[in-house]
Amino acid sequence: MTTREFDGIRLEKLREHVWEIPREGDMNVPARVLASEALLEEIGEDDTLRQLKNATHLPGMVEPALCMPDGHQGYGFPVGGVGAIDARTGCISPGAIGYDINCGVRMVRTSLTYDDVRGREAELVDALFEAIPSGLGGGGVIDGDSDAIEGALSRGVEWAVSEGYGIESDLAHCEDEGRRPDAKPEYVSQKATDRGRNQMGSLGSGNHFLEVQRVTDVFREEVAEAYGLSEGQIVVLIHCGSRGLGHQTCNDYLRRIEREHADLLESLPDKELAAAPAGSELAEEYYGAMGACINFAWVNRQLITHRTREVFGDVFDADPIDDLGMELLYDVAHNIGKKETHEVPVGPDGRPTVAEDAVDRADRELYVHRKGATRAFPAGREEVPEAYRSVGQPVIIPGSMGAGSYVLRGGAESMSVSFGSTAHGAGRLMSRTQAKQEFWGGDVQDDLEREQAIYVKAQSGATVAEEAPGVYKDVDEVVRVSDELGIGDTVARTFPVCNIKG
Amino acid sequence: MSYELRDHTADVAVEATAPSLSALFAAVADGLTAASCESVPAEGGERFTLREAAESREALLFDYLDRLIYERDVRLVLPADHECRVIEPDSIGPDDEDEPTYIVEAGARGVPLDAVAAREIKAVTYSEMTLERRDDGWYAYVVFDV
Repeated sequence: MTTREFDGIRLEKLREHVWEIPREGDMNVPARVLASEALLEEIGEDDTLRQLKNATHLPGMVEPALCMPDGHQGYGFPVGGVGAIDARTGCISPGAIGYDINCGVRMVRTSLTYDDVRGREAELVDALFEAIPSGLGGGGVIDGDSDAIEGALSRGVEWAVSEGYGIESDLAHCEDEGRRPDAKPEYVSQKATDRGRNQMGSLGSGNHFLEVQRVTDVFREEVAEAYGLSEGQIVVLIHCGSRGLGHQTCNDYLRRIEREHADLLESLPDKELAAAPAGSELAEEYYGAMGACINFAWVNRQLITHRTREVFGDVFDADPIDDLGMELLYDVAHNIGKKETHEVPVGPDGRPTVAEDAVDRADRELYVHRKGATRAFPAGREEVPEAYRSVGQPVIIPGSMGAGSYVLRGGAESMSVSFGSTAHGAGRLMSRTQAKQEFWGGDVQDDLEREQAIYVKAQSGATVAEEAPGVYKDVDEVVRVSDELGIGDTVARTFPVCNIKG
Repeated sequence: MSYELRDHTADVAVEATAPSLSALFAAVADGLTAASCESVPAEGGERFTLREAAESREALLFDYLDRLIYERDVRLVLPADHECRVIEPDSIGPDDEDEPTYIVEAGARGVPLDAVAAREIKAVTYSEMTLERRDDGWYAYVVFDV
């Protein structure tokens, strides 16, 4: 058997791209890394594997705890981590979902081609940068009064469409139709809503961005046709989350768990894995608050979409829907926790257990934590929008500014290999501090424009340096692994035309 | 007192040392400011004060930094030039609570966000957090989510 070892953590190669950290000591279940040898080398360089091993200590974790091909060190739970936990006897962990609840991506189609945009990139990037709030303190597309906050938290995209910030088809093409049915805004703190007020419809900063892209490659014609994608087409990709409202909610509940469930916290190897026991009042309140934050993030991306449509309408002097065909392809979260039903090994008591102790397999409701991982449900699942159900759920994998992005579809093997999940991006390779030492924002911008005709505009040169193409892993390799494992099949590749960021 | 920004793959960490707990809190907060912005104008902005109470030193540091990030988003300022006074239970005396209460009374200069090129630090985290007394004073290590 092929094995690898990183800082005392031994991995056994089960098959191509599947590496297991066997159960030992206090691990409840084994962990698996889905990666090629090259990606595993990078994953092994930081603290990802230790964090993944720590995650197996969460009570009720179902075999296996997973790290996606783009995984890297996070805080407590690794980025790229998937943890499926028994929703009856296990727990829910805010840290395993992430601070930016429903950080995610959406792609908007257009009927424009690259030829329509070429020569007008500077005009377009300036107009988008001017119109769409980014960075710190830039405000939002709308003022978040009490009614707007309440509407967003409770009704999600449905509220935005009813207020004129979208069209009916936006609902049908969003994960969960843009509304979590179990959202409970009453469990979102005043402090959190205070922070959301100034940020309704804003990108923020860091790795969040809006990018005009052109489709360069189509790999699966039939699926691309169902998604409305073709070579040369212009699309818009929006990457952001629930802003300060979501960040505050995560911290509010981490602190409440610390106070109200200290015993469970003390049994965990990292305080950032803080979890509320399934069935507890706190677990229910967090789940409801998180659902409301998920809705808020969808509204955030919806408001940015609305403003983007207006900008395209102005720049191209056309109706964004009727003339430019700017319909939502899909919106999908990559920091999220949801109750989902999966078939798992169960023991004599009917509870999920490790395969070696199992007497049967059965459907169980799980809290599926995806932190830097994307749901990737295959064709036929009822959760996939009707328009795409026959081909599988769209999965959007943003790459770096210079390397392009991918559209995948949920693969046939995803339910058995990764609890219906795949990667979420290229994954960072280099720290922000190191990136700023190695790159200068102005040079990166100039190089991208001169060598690749990519127009970048940002609030801060430091952000451009921190997000330089060289700080990310090879997104092509991440997607290749996803495709070969059958968890997310490549459909199309896109390449940046204009990019705005905070 | 002093701080350094440390490498972290996705995030940023602040490592700080100081002769007293109060100075340590201010040093970590100065590190948070530095992680947000390359260069803070020497003048401008109004000072504001805040007070936080928690059940332990670590929890107090967490709540203090969380509050600074909250104030940033609500006041639309980058908090800078931090001053802190940490009050430990021994100096408060017995109270009615089961848990001892640690308090920080702090002040900062709120530099308007439109006057700086600041980037967003999303949140303070407990990940790898260290707060301890050492032979030569106090030491802290805090990871922030970017």
